[in-house]
Amino acid sequence: MAVTRRGILVGALAGGGLALGYMLRPRRYPLPLAPGEGEYAFDAWIKIGSDGVVTVAVPQVEMGQGITTLIPQVVAHELGADWRQVAVEPAPVSGLYANLALAAKWAPLWMPLAPSLADQPEDLLTRRWAQDRRFNVTADGTELAAYEGPARAAAASARAMLMQAAAARWKVSWEECEAGDGFVTHEGKRLPFGSLAEEAAAFSPPSPPPLRAEAMAERPGEFPPGAPLRYPRLDLPAKVDGSWTFAGDVRLPGMVHAAIAHAPIGLNTSISGLDEAAVKGMRGYRGIVRGMTNGGAWVAAVATDGWTAQAALTRMAPRFKVAAGADSDLVDAAMDEALHTVDAATIHTQGDRESLRGGLPLQLRYEVAPAIHAAIETAAAAAHFSEGRLELWVGTQAPEAAREAAARAIGLQTRDVVLYPMAIGGSFDRRLENEPAAQAAVIAKAIGKPVQLTWSRREEFRAGLPRAPVAAVMGARVDAEGAIAGWRARIAVPATAREFGRRLLDGDAPFDALAAVAGKADAMAVEGAVPPYDIPNLVVDHVPAKIGLPTARMRGNAHAWTAFFNESFVDELAHKASREPLSYRMAMLGKETRLAECLQRVAVLAQWGGGGDASGQGIACHVMGEGRIAVVASARRDENGVRVDRLSAVADIGRIVNYDIARQQIEGGLVFGLGLALGCAVRYEGGRPDSDSLGAMGLPKLADCPAIEVEFIDSKAQPADPGELGVAAVAPAVANALYSATGLRLRRLPFFGEDL
Amino acid sequence: MTRLTVNDRPVEFAMDPRTPLLWALRDGANLTGTKYGCGVGDCGACTVMVDGAALRACLITLAECEGRFVVTIEGLSHDRSHPVQQAMVAEQAIQCGFCTPGIVMSAAALLAHNASPSEAEIKAAIPNLCRCGVYPRLLGAVQRAAAVTRREDTISAAPAPGIAPEDAARAVPALKP
Repeated sequence: MAVTRRGILVGALAGGGLALGYMLRPRRYPLPLAPGEGEYAFDAWIKIGSDGVVTVAVPQVEMGQGITTLIPQVVAHELGADWRQVAVEPAPVSGLYANLALAAKWAPLWMPLAPSLADQPEDLLTRRWAQDRRFNVTADGTELAAYEGPARAAAASARAMLMQAAAARWKVSWEECEAGDGFVTHEGKRLPFGSLAEEAAAFSPPSPPPLRAEAMAERPGEFPPGAPLRYPRLDLPAKVDGSWTFAGDVRLPGMVHAAIAHAPIGLNTSISGLDEAAVKGMRGYRGIVRGMTNGGAWVAAVATDGWTAQAALTRMAPRFKVAAGADSDLVDAAMDEALHTVDAATIHTQGDRESLRGGLPLQLRYEVAPAIHAAIETAAAAAHFSEGRLELWVGTQAPEAAREAAARAIGLQTRDVVLYPMAIGGSFDRRLENEPAAQAAVIAKAIGKPVQLTWSRREEFRAGLPRAPVAAVMGARVDAEGAIAGWRARIAVPATAREFGRRLLDGDAPFDALAAVAGKADAMAVEGAVPPYDIPNLVVDHVPAKIGLPTARMRGNAHAWTAFFNESFVDELAHKASREPLSYRMAMLGKETRLAECLQRVAVLAQWGGGGDASGQGIACHVMGEGRIAVVASARRDENGVRVDRLSAVADIGRIVNYDIARQQIEGGLVFGLGLALGCAVRYEGGRPDSDSLGAMGLPKLADCPAIEVEFIDSKAQPADPGELGVAAVAPAVANALYSATGLRLRRLPFFGEDL
Repeated sequence: MTRLTVNDRPVEFAMDPRTPLLWALRDGANLTGTKYGCGVGDCGACTVMVDGAALRACLITLAECEGRFVVTIEGLSHDRSHPVQQAMVAEQAIQCGFCTPGIVMSAAALLAHNASPSEAEIKAAIPNLCRCGVYPRLLGAVQRAAAVTRREDTISAAPAPGIAPEDAARAVPALKP
């Protein structure tokens, strides 16, 4: 592998030497932190004030997942700080905070021809690419993998410098000093960090940074119910009194508010008419802006408050033209056609491929409908354009892409766009797209005032892209005992990950991205399709469907459908073989002992009774990267539809940095997965969705929420992200439970979608 | 001009009286803790108390609020000391925080007239949507808040904002004024 890699690199240098040579030259970046008076910066991560406040910069956006606590916690542990002296601030966009773990994971998106050149975070190419692009995207569960190391190293260096400063004062050797609770100590003497910070900043940190022996870890056994939190979340006090601000809460002097209406999702959109006379003399109305960003036409009304802006827009009743609007009937037909006729790309194969050609003894079809994110916060951005520079307040998972989109929209250089990172109100990957940044830029420039743009819920439905529809034919051959001898997954789904990659990384408009990747194989779109089981012959095929509807990432991503296919199918195979579903799985997990342990533990937790005799219990498990989860659902069908009474989950996510945040993430993932299993689906006609209200989405409420219990395996393995793990295994567990309860096998997500 | 009392202060809104209270609070009074999520009463993110009742601010107009007493999340307490605020933080029944103000107001309105709500009463009183999925912690949090309301428990999980450096230093030795 290493030889090949070098070979290709050298070849590339010979061919395009200048570009790559330039790309590989080491870079230096200015320190992004701006210390205030009496504050001293340590690397790009930490500021220590002479008052003792330790401020940690967080280069990932907070959207509920707790990163505002996790990175400071890593720093506090390594530095030896008192948790109560730790403050936090969002880090500005800088190459210093490049997310190398994600850049490596997404190498197929930015180097589709030779991703293996850059699929490791330590690859030089990955580093250069990510740093040059200021790529600090928050996504795909890479936060700790990317940032724990650098934050920890910075904290260890800062601790050494503080100790050096104290040692110099005491005239002792710094290695004999210790740091804890915000003090450097030595034989009964102690000095607080605050009074050492100025002197410490002048010392040189030892290289490599002197890390503590143990990384930050909270062991599950240390937190019985009711146990106090050791590192309570830093963001919660501000979230409980209304002072935590989102992009839509930004208020600037002289600010006006904008409401927006989008053209349907489709090709060649334009504004065909609107009634400007209808708003003449309307109090508070300030103007209209016609826009075209990202390949889509829109109209924005501007007024002194958001309601008047919306009312003005409604009165003007803008009309749009679209050449070919997205249509669900066409989508369905395209999926069918793909499954039946198009050549597949083989993504994974093991054993004898020939034994899996043609018809297999058992073949079952599963389907997943397009689904919307339905985050409670709608898209919003505030912008101020003045003297050739744009200031932008926006909550985004991809801040550099937001700057680029805004700059492109009004003809600026990216460097003339200042982005203030705002927190997000539950993105679920919706805010990987940056439409409102570009729109707010256009409106602010046209109106000449600071503007606040907030999308209405209706527009969020209309212009937000759904997650992809998927259809799969799962086939298997079993031996005389019912064990799986051969397994074939044929999955039809658009090349949704690569399509997203074109939008994010190349600035493509949605339909340009769709065209660019049409018919291309996309391994990320079928991630998780290789089951964890020991199966001698196995094939995973991707059939790239061309559906004429742009699609987006969503929490769980491909795992949310591949886990549904795999775990429903394996359950069906168990029942066909008259085998108990848990032991059927366990027999195939000889090489996956960590997942086997999750299954055994969840069986105890949920008092698993075998899933037979109309018990209403169903079991499922899934592996996502280094994370593992097993779920038991108890479900039934009553007059109100599907009722899920209990979800029990056991996860193995390796070393846990913050136990309660990990638990929050699994709980939340389970609830989100339940929402996708029971609702969130939309159909399109003429480029418009058939619904525009949250009330019609079948979203779980408190009264519908099952009892949820979550446990973790005590592990010292590398940390895995818990954020998306919970989403994946819910749907199959519930489907399997409903089969047990009713004898009805549900092979479509959402369940009973036709009834909703 | 519509006159009402917002967070114990008399306010006169120079806005169209047909403006829903939500936009009057957010864009007129800059009380942005009350959130817009849907505008049609589905999500509950804009829940405030009007004369003590939890109402969705997107569904009532300024005119309908004439002379009434409105309490928003900013006015529930001046120091995060309301039992629901404390319990939500203590139980970490918050993730992204966007639906939180609405949930807190729904729960606070419930406890204001019923300090011993049953599980069913809590579920009925909190129809708010939360997509991060804090539901599994919500019942426990409201029950704990109820216990505090009944003076059977105390919680100090969310510190008051704006603590003076001298006071902070008294509690945390690593800080100095």
